[in-house]
Amino acid sequence: MKNLIIALTCILFAKTVSAQTDSLAFDENNKYIYYQTVEQAGLNKDTLYTRALYFIKKSVTGNKLKLSKADEVLGTLTGKGSFMITKKTLVLAGVGGEIDYSLRIEVKDAKYRYWFTDFVFIPYQRDRYGMDVPTPGVYIPLENAKRKIDAKDVAAYLDKILQNSRQVGSVLKSYMLKISSMPKPKADKAIKKISTKEW
Amino acid sequence: MKKTLLLSTLFCIAAFAVKAQDTVKTTPDAPLIIYGSVDTYYKYDFSKHGNIQTYFGSDQNSVSIGMIDLGLKKKVGKASFVGEMSFGPRGQEQSIPAGGAGDSYHIQNLYVGYDVTDKLNLTAGYMGTFVGYEVISPVANFNYSTSYLFGAGPFQNAGFKATYAFSDKVSLMAGVFNDNWNVYKSNSATPEVSTFGSQLFIAPVKGWTAYLNVLSGKYAGTVLDLTTAYQITDAFKLGLNAARKSGGGALNYYGYALYPQFAVSKAVTFGLREEYFKTKSTNSGPNLGISPGNSVLASTLTANIKAGPLTFIPEIRVDHTKDVDAFVKSDGTTFTKSASQFILAAVYAF
Repeated sequence: MKNLIIALTCILFAKTVSAQTDSLAFDENNKYIYYQTVEQAGLNKDTLYTRALYFIKKSVTGNKLKLSKADEVLGTLTGKGSFMITKKTLVLAGVGGEIDYSLRIEVKDAKYRYWFTDFVFIPYQRDRYGMDVPTPGVYIPLENAKRKIDAKDVAAYLDKILQNSRQVGSVLKSYMLKISSMPKPKADKAIKKISTKEW
Repeated sequence: MKKTLLLSTLFCIAAFAVKAQDTVKTTPDAPLIIYGSVDTYYKYDFSKHGNIQTYFGSDQNSVSIGMIDLGLKKKVGKASFVGEMSFGPRGQEQSIPAGGAGDSYHIQNLYVGYDVTDKLNLTAGYMGTFVGYEVISPVANFNYSTSYLFGAGPFQNAGFKATYAFSDKVSLMAGVFNDNWNVYKSNSATPEVSTFGSQLFIAPVKGWTAYLNVLSGKYAGTVLDLTTAYQITDAFKLGLNAARKSGGGALNYYGYALYPQFAVSKAVTFGLREEYFKTKSTNSGPNLGISPGNSVLASTLTANIKAGPLTFIPEIRVDHTKDVDAFVKSDGTTFTKSASQFILAAVYAF
C-alpha cells in the first residue's frame, strides 16, 4: 500500500512538472507575446513591486536584463533583456545570434501579471579575429522573420524564446514568493559598548 | 523494502529536479568552439591568362582551392584564447609568411585575451590586422577577389593591445606591435616591438559603424585607414574604405573603395565594389602590378547566393589602369589598359 502511495505521488509530481500548457501568442498588435497572470494572495501591491524590482535588478546574470522604466504608483516595471542562440551539431557549437526582448511586470494587491514581447533576432557574424559578434544594423523582429530567415530556423528561435520566457518567468515567480530573495537588512556592525562601572 | 527505497529515491530526484532557480544564465558556458571554412573556385580571365594581380582567386581557367581554415576558441570567465590554422594556397603562401626553413606555421590567429573589467580587454599574440575593410577569410568578405587596398595593406600584426569600451557606441584600442607587418616575430636588424597602432570605433547611429585606424612604425611606415559600413535599410548596405600608406616598409599608396550591397531575397544579395587605387611615384617597383605613379579603377560585381552554410559567389571584375601597365591582351604580347575576369566560388562556413 505504501509503495502504491509513493508511486502515485511520484507520478502526480512528475505530471505536474511536465505540464506546460502555456505558449507564445499574438497580442492585439500581432506581436509575439508570452503572457502570464499570477494570483498571489496575502501580498500587497507594494511588496510585489519591491520584489519585482529586485528580480529585474538581480536575477539575470551577465547584466542581460536591464530596468528601463519603473513606476511605483502605477505598479509597472519594464525591462530589456537578451539571450544567446547557440548553433549546435554533434561536435560543433557556436553563437548563431541573440534574441532581444522586453519584459513588462504589473502588480496589484494579491496579484501580478507579466509578459515578454518585442522579440528581435540579431544574427551574429564572425569577425577578423575569429570572434562571433552582432551583425551591425541587422535587427529582425520575429514577426517578420520568415521573410528573412529559413522557416526551420524561425521555428527553432520561437521555441528558444518560449523556453527562455518560461525560465525567466519561473524565476520571477520564485522571487515574488520568497522572502529570502529580498535584500537582507545590513547587520549592525557597530561594536557594542559595555560599561564596566556597573555590574 | 528495496522497492520503497527505490521509489523514495525517485521521488527525491524528481523533487530536486524542480528546485526553483535563483538566477538565469543568459550566456551559455562556452565549450571549446571549433569553427572555420573551406573554399574553392573557378576563374577565367578573358585575356586567357592571369592579369589582375590582387590576392586570391589567382589560377587561370582552373578549378582551384582556397584553403581550409580551422579555428579553436574558448572563454572561461575572463580569459579566452583563439587559435586559427589554415591550409591551402590562400591560407599559406598567399597570406602568411613562411617559417625559417621555408615551411609554413599555418597560423592566421593565435592570441590570448583577458577582460580586466567589463570595459577593458587586453589581448596579446598574432592577430588579423585591425586595418582595412577586407580580410583573408572568405567568410567575412562579400567579394571573392580582393581589393588593391587589401593587398597593399597589412594582413596580420603581432603584438599587445588594450581595448577600452566607453559605451556600446565608442571604444578605443591602442597597442604596440612588432617592427614589421605580418611577421610572427620581430625581424628588423635590431628586432623590436616598435610599431604603434590604434583604432577608434564609433557607431554614430543604429546600423552605422566606423573605424578610424592608424598603424605607424619606423620600419613599417604609416597607414591611415577609415573603414565604415552603414546598413541603411533592411536590404541596402553601403560600405567605404579609404586608406593612405606612407613612409618605410611596404610600398606606398592611397585609395578608396565603395561597397554598395542590395539584398533581393533572403538568399540572394548583389554587391558592387568600386575601387580607385594609386601608387606613389617614388615607389621602388610595381605594387600588385600597378607601376609607380599609375592608378587603377576596379569594378567588381558580385552576387552572394546562400544555401544554408554554403555560399556561391559568382563575380565579374573589370580593372582599368590610367596608363598602359601590366595588363596584356590575349595575344600575349600587346599591353592594354584593361583586364577582366570571371570567378565562381563556393565557400562553406562552419
